[in-house]
This record gives sequence, C-alpha cells and structure tokens, in this order.
Amino acid sequence: MRARLSRLWRWITWTWSPASERESSSAIVENLWLHWFPAKIAEEAFTWRYSLWLGAIAAFLFLILVVTGVLLMFFYVPSTQSAYWSIKDIEYVVGFGWVLRNQHRWAAHLMVLVVFLHMLRVFFTGAYRAHRAANWLVGLALLLMTLFLSFTGYLLPWDQLAFWAVTVGTNIAKEAPIVGEGLRFVLLGGTEIGQSALVRFYVLHVVVLPAAVLVLFAYHMWRVRRDGGMAVVDPASTPAAEPGRVTPAPAKTYSLFGVTPGTTLEVRAARPRGDDTAVSSSPHLVRRLIFVFLAVFTLTIVLSLISGAPLEEPANPTLTPNPAKAPWYFLWLQELVAVTTLRVGNLTVSGGFIGGILVPGLLVVIAVLWPFLDRSPLHTVGRWFPRERRLQNGVLCVLALIILVLVLIGLLMRGPYWQLYWPWQHWPEPPQRL
Amino acid sequence: MNSRLRENRDFWPLLLASTASLVAVLVVAYVEYTPEWRQRTEVFRTYLKGRGAYAAAATVPTDVQQIWLPALDRVDRCISCHVNYDASISTLDDLPPLYRSHPELPYLAKHPFPTFGCTACHGGQGYALDEASAHGHVEHWDEPLLTTALADQYGLTRQQLMEMRCNTCHRRDDSTAGTDLINMAKEIFDKKHCTSCHGLLGAGGLAASDLTYAGDLNPEYLDFSNVEGPRTELNWQIQHFKSPQQIVTRSGMPNYRLSNDQAKALALLMLSWQRINYPPQYLPAPRKRPASVLPVVRDVPYPPPATAPLAQQGRYVFMNRGCNSCHRVGGGNLIGPDLAGVTQRRNDQWLTTWLKDPAAVVARSPDLQAWSHEFGDIVMPNQNLTDDDVKAIVAYMKEFPSDQATPGARPGTN
Repeated sequence: MRARLSRLWRWITWTWSPASERESSSAIVENLWLHWFPAKIAEEAFTWRYSLWLGAIAAFLFLILVVTGVLLMFFYVPSTQSAYWSIKDIEYVVGFGWVLRNQHRWAAHLMVLVVFLHMLRVFFTGAYRAHRAANWLVGLALLLMTLFLSFTGYLLPWDQLAFWAVTVGTNIAKEAPIVGEGLRFVLLGGTEIGQSALVRFYVLHVVVLPAAVLVLFAYHMWRVRRDGGMAVVDPASTPAAEPGRVTPAPAKTYSLFGVTPGTTLEVRAARPRGDDTAVSSSPHLVRRLIFVFLAVFTLTIVLSLISGAPLEEPANPTLTPNPAKAPWYFLWLQELVAVTTLRVGNLTVSGGFIGGILVPGLLVVIAVLWPFLDRSPLHTVGRWFPRERRLQNGVLCVLALIILVLVLIGLLMRGPYWQLYWPWQHWPEPPQRL
Repeated sequence: MNSRLRENRDFWPLLLASTASLVAVLVVAYVEYTPEWRQRTEVFRTYLKGRGAYAAAATVPTDVQQIWLPALDRVDRCISCHVNYDASISTLDDLPPLYRSHPELPYLAKHPFPTFGCTACHGGQGYALDEASAHGHVEHWDEPLLTTALADQYGLTRQQLMEMRCNTCHRRDDSTAGTDLINMAKEIFDKKHCTSCHGLLGAGGLAASDLTYAGDLNPEYLDFSNVEGPRTELNWQIQHFKSPQQIVTRSGMPNYRLSNDQAKALALLMLSWQRINYPPQYLPAPRKRPASVLPVVRDVPYPPPATAPLAQQGRYVFMNRGCNSCHRVGGGNLIGPDLAGVTQRRNDQWLTTWLKDPAAVVARSPDLQAWSHEFGDIVMPNQNLTDDDVKAIVAYMKEFPSDQATPGARPGTN
C-alpha cells in the first residue's frame, strides 16, 4: 500500500532524475526546446541573486504576449470603424476575452519594466565588457523594440486613451531635426492619425516587431553561450585573476549534435574552476525555468483579476482629453518636454526637442558607446556594485531614479492642464452630458 | 557532482507556484462561468418553478441573448438579463421588475424590438453584460440609461427625459405624438424665431451659434462657474435658457423669461440634436409645414458712434444686449425697425415704458400689434434693462434724430 501510494505520488509529482550525467546531457541536447541550453551550468550563474532571472522573466512575458496576442488577433478588427467595438466584444462576450486582454496588457507593461531592469542588472554587474559588448548592443536593440512594440499596441483599441497617447508620442517624434516630419509621416501613413496609421501600427505590432524580437532574442541567447555563459563565471572575474591580467579561456569544442561530422563550433569555456560546482541543466535549470514561468503566469493572471485593461470613450480627434498623457514609459520624456518648454513673453521655445529628442537620443548614444568607453578593470566583471565601478554605477542609479520619479510624477500627479496635484488630491471632475 | 544543488531544494517553491497558478486559473474559470446575467436567469428559472410555471421555466435561455442592429451600429445584450422583455417566456402577473415584460405602449407597434432594440430609446451600453456597465453609469460611457433617478436630478419624469432620444429621429417632425415637452420646445423655437439669429440645418441667421448639432457640444467647453446644480450639459442648457446673461456674461441672447418647464423642454430639444446617421428606413416621413420666410440676421452691423458720455454708455448697452442684432440706426429695417429718428416718433416716457416691458405695451395697443405683423409677429424680448440702461439708450437714440442714413451706420463698419 505504502509503495503504491509512493508510486502514485511520484506519478503525480513526475520527478525526473537522470541516472547518469550522460542521460542528463542527452535530455538537453536531444530536445528541440532545450538544446540551446548548455548541458551543465555553473552554480554562480544559476543562483537567484546574481541575475535575478530577469532575462528569463522577460522571455516568458514575451511568450505570454505571443500566445494571448495570437488569440486576440482572432477577434480584433484593425479598422477605425470596428476596432473599438471589437474590443468591447472581447471584453464582454468573447469566451475568456477579458482575461486574455488584461493579461496581454499587464504582460506588456511588465515586459517594458523587466527588460529595463535587466539592462540595469547587466550594467551594475559590468556584464557588457570586452567581447560581451556585441550582446549589450543586441540587448539595447531589444529594449527599444520592446518599447516600440508596446507603443504600437497602445493605439490598437482606438479609444481616447490610445488615440491621444499616440498623438503625444508621435508629436514628440516630429521634433527631431530634419528627419522628424518625414519619420512621423512614414509611421502614420499621413499627417494625421487615422485608418492608415492604425493599419501600420497593427502590422508592426503583430508581424514585423515580434518577428524581429524573436530573431534578435535567438541571437541574444546564442551570443550568451558563444561569449562563455554569464559574466559571473568569466575567468576574468574569478578572484584568482590579477587585475589587468586575464587568463585566456580554454577553448572547448562540441560536436554539432551529430548534424555534421567534425567539431567545428568553438565555444568559450565557462567553467574555469572545474566541473564540481556545475549542475546539470536537466533537471535543475529546466525546473527553475518552469518555476519562473509559473510565477510570471500567475502574476499576470492575478493582476488581470485585480485590475482590468482600460477602455475609454471611442477615439475622437476633435476632443482632446484633459490631461492627455503618453504611455507611462514615455511619461518621463513628456515631463521633460513640459518642463523644458520655455516662455519668454510671447516667445515659446518648444521643449519637444530637448525632452523628446536630445535627452533620449543622448542616452541611447551613450548606452551604445559605453562598452567602448568604459575603463574600469576587467576583473570587476560579473560582480554586483564593485568598488572600482562606484562612480558609473552611481550615475546610472541616479539616472534610473530620476526617470522613475519623473514617470511617477507624470503618472500620478499631473491633472487637467498639466497642473501638479498631490496623489491624494482630487482632480476637478470634468462635466458630463447628463 | 557533489553540488548541494543536486538536492531538490526548488521543490517547495515549485509546488507553491504550481498550486498558485492552478488556483489562479480556477478563479478565472469561476469568474468566466458565473456571470451576473447567468445568476439572474437562474433566479428567474427558480422563481417560475416556485409559481408552478415549469414549462415557462424550461424556456428561460441559458446563454447570452442580443438584438443585433447593424443598421444602427448597435448590439443590445440587455435581454440577457431582461429575458422576458417581450413576454415570450411568461405572462404571469406581479413578476419581479427585472423579469416584467415591456409595457404595451401605443408607439411600440411602430418601433418593434427587432428593429429598434433597447438602447436606441433607453440609452445605456448595449455591449456590456454586467449591470453597472450595461446601465452605463460608469466612467467612459457618455450615454447612460435614462432612469427615474437621473430624471429626478432635473425635476423631470423618465418619460420626459426619454423624449430627448425620440427626437434624435423625429427632429424634423413639426410635432410628434407622445413627446409633449419636445413639442412645446419646438413651438417656442418657432414662435421666438430662434433661427433669426441661430443657424439650423443649413438655414437661419449667422449672428449666433449654429444649433444643427447642439447636442454634440462638448461639456468641457462650457463654463460652469455660474451654474447651480449638477455639472452637466443638460443642466447648463436649462440654466442658460432661464437666464442667458447669468451663465454667459455679455451674452447677446435675449432673456425670454421662460418658465422652468419651457427651459427644460428647450434644453432637451438642444441635447436631442445630435449627429447620428440613421439609415433612411428609420426616419419618419417629414411632417413639417413649410416655414414662413422670415428675415434672418446674416451680419451684425456696428451701431454708429456716439459723442456725449451718456450716449456712449447707451451705445455700449445697445451692443452689449445684442440690440444691434435686430436693429440698425439708419440704413433700413432689419428684424426690427430702423431706430434712426425714433425719438422724433416717440417721446421719452413712451420709450422708457417700451424698453422696460415691450410685450405689455404691444398687448395694450392694437396699432402696434398690426405693425409688428410686418415684422413677422416678432415681439421685442424684454432685456431686463435697469433705469440707467434705459436713460443711456434714450440719450444715445437722441443723437440720431433724422430718418437720414448716418454715415457710420452702414452694416459692418465701425
């Protein structure tokens, strides 16, 4: 009886425990979905505290977005006449439509946040140095694409919130010198937000950008392995390595999983300290990934149950809501635009250029160039907040904090006519029709 | 191989996460499968069984019901809860309000449910399936259900409030059976010759705002600082009709001293004039009698300049009260007579009495009644002028004694 119960328990809990290291490796390399993981993974890279698993969280959010997004595509109609009402149908009569839409919305917001935090993590641990600079650039491209994906999705409900957030966003883009007007024209398919803008945003949102993210994501992951795994296990970051003297990583070769004969693919070795601290990817890494996925999935569901995605009145180009706000992740830019707009007498100098183009443009350029400008010692790579990188980490902390504060001000404290209100103060109620 | 990570230390977090996600999915399924409308129909089924109507109970639908009106761009799912709206399930007496059928009203024959649905007359959000959203008393829905509670705010009955929706289709009717308040408003609108100044459906004057789509006015553009009561467009219109100058300072619109009912009727008329494109088969045949051709104001002439200080004050009042919308001083008649030389035709005493209450003077004098016939029976509105205003205007008029056109009095010149 006891044996039966224990068998039943094992059957329910389905414990996978490979008998040998070979069996464990085979489980990884012979599986289409897992073959891009290494067969073994260093313990330092495996811990929660080093990477916070932000990359994995972002990837799972993307997965949730793809699945819910494809399901939503069966019901959404990208036309200015029908878009809003098809969302109403999704909300009220499509089976589980409300939860799909809420989950899609929440996962999108979270993905923007998590991808940004992932970038901060990589910076704070110096994991973008030397040969990892290429992957840093890919990561930056993925961050910008995530923002653009979210922004294009923002327009699709075709309600007042969508219409005016995109109006604010594209008007900021217009401030770019020389290319601004043209860029906005190409993006909107005209000079005003209408049917052609909606269909362009739709195609970008459901085909072009997700495909690009998928390709870049694949490259991003492949590149992590090619660069020798996570920076924390870099030979340069081991305490034994002296400053300035990097032990060359021993090259390691793999067979190409039997696809072609020979051993041509060279990969930087990730485990200078021997195999004793490494764990098998199967089942340890896989189990953690399942845990991360379940946690992310549950979080999006719980958030969807607590708070639904907003849907305001149908888009009305002749009626500007007061206040009109950009999506939250652009609110720090809108805040900069608003406060850098100077009025001297009758002369108004638009802040659109400073807040909308100069500041974000500079930040992106600095982020692109930073791996090549950074002179901090290489042995700091793979450690959180090392002393030698105090200054640059501190500066980024302050920058991130400023962005956060500006976003919160824009989100919670800007009322009608862009006036400042305390979060506990009530905005004047707009008058109603009846 | 000796790593402690080989111990299954992720077991409890993993168990917790899987349990949590299972619970989350179950909660989602529960929310999905226990919608409000299903509970309501269940209550109805039980109720019918309790009264022995087993056959009727079996016909209570178990899924979402809707009236789809592609021609009106509407879908009304109200009948998912109000399942017995057409008495097709039960004709028992004393059903709970939710399950009662729609009362048999005379105009229902011409407005069948499958063609008109619910929200076209009642307002509300036909797409929605929960009570709060469906009744439209939520944020971001501008067309709430027209309830007794809502009507009470304005001292109206629900039927009176709903006349507003009748008139979105019936706006071109001269009068429509059953819409007493709107009919009264239309009569006032004709009698007071509002189209002398206001544009309407491509005709009318240009001196005041075009009223064709007055119902689409954005309430955020209205000034509520002097409005008492609810901050709504309907209330603004009511208060504005009762006393234009109190709501909009220096408004040129005459104060017609309308009663409360008249003001409410006109306000409902204004809100009914919305830009809604009904397909032709929904519109009633036009039953409006051809309107008599009336003079309309296409240009508001500036009155000629004055010299004496009191006369200058008079000119200010003359413009401020919109007298120049109807009267010119030299240059011929407009809506009202040319006022050049008026002080030679009438003495100060007469002018003062006239300016204080024109309607009373007309009522006393058959001659004036005959004369005003030339001006389309338009009687000058009482502008509630003060004694000082009257003195100033008379002083201003005295500066133009002759019937001759004054050089500065041509339309459009200052």
